[in-house]
Amino acid sequence: MSGPNEDNNTQLSSHIFGDLLDSIIVDVASECHRIAKLGLDRNLEEEEEEMRLSAQARARVADPSNSSETNTKYVVDIFGQTHPSVATEIFECMNCGRSIAAGRFAPHLEKCMGKGRKARLKVTRSSTAAQNRYSRGSPVSTYSPYSNSTSTNRLSNGTPSVAGEEYSNGTYEEPWNKT
Amino acid sequence: MKHSVNRPPTPDAAEDQGKEPTLQEIINVKLIESGEKERLMELLRERLIDCGWKDEMKALCRAHVKKKGRNNVTVDDLVHLITPKGRASVPDSVKAELLQRIRMFLMSAAL
Repeated sequence: MSGPNEDNNTQLSSHIFGDLLDSIIVDVASECHRIAKLGLDRNLEEEEEEMRLSAQARARVADPSNSSETNTKYVVDIFGQTHPSVATEIFECMNCGRSIAAGRFAPHLEKCMGKGRKARLKVTRSSTAAQNRYSRGSPVSTYSPYSNSTSTNRLSNGTPSVAGEEYSNGTYEEPWNKT
Repeated sequence: MKHSVNRPPTPDAAEDQGKEPTLQEIINVKLIESGEKERLMELLRERLIDCGWKDEMKALCRAHVKKKGRNNVTVDDLVHLITPKGRASVPDSVKAELLQRIRMFLMSAAL
């Protein structure tokens, strides 16, 4: 192997190497071009989509006409679910054993356990039979106006409820009342 | 008269007047015919993937596409984008290996 040949060889090899590299570069460029055009690069798509959605959301928040819509019953939460304004799941009241809707539970407990005259009388009634005799005289006359006012309050809401039924007659009906 | 009457002489005539194939062309033909070019390409491709060179180039392309918008990019753009960086960033070991293989082929081709 003489000098010039070596140089020639080296030069030739570099040239051939350059050719190979150029071919590979074109291949890579072509592949990336294909991926871009066909939208196969998910990250690119997701970022564009997210930017679009965030711009949309920002527009929606800034738009004043939208604020009234969001206050109606059909508010959609971030999971896309809607909830009725009165919770509708039904529980059993641990005090009286009735089936009560969750949304009406607090008022029901007030009547059932605590603040009203009826509730206090109910407690005394169930505790002893003797006390029953005293409380039974008063209920019919004094209850009616009380229950009427509450029933009108209830019905004016327009929301149907299980607890509302007890006041519709104007008398406080209970299973153990009928003796 | 037909236009074909005035067409230029066929290339065969020109070649007879001493246009010899260059050394390069001869070697290229030998490379391809023996299948060595294919093998060398595959070897180079593999080495460039292993060392992360291909990923770097793809990242460059992606960034360019994101900037320009996917419908405004041509293959030509990408080739011109990658070529200078691509040539410069081939690891020395990879280049050495390939050059060695090529030289061996040249010597075995008995030129």
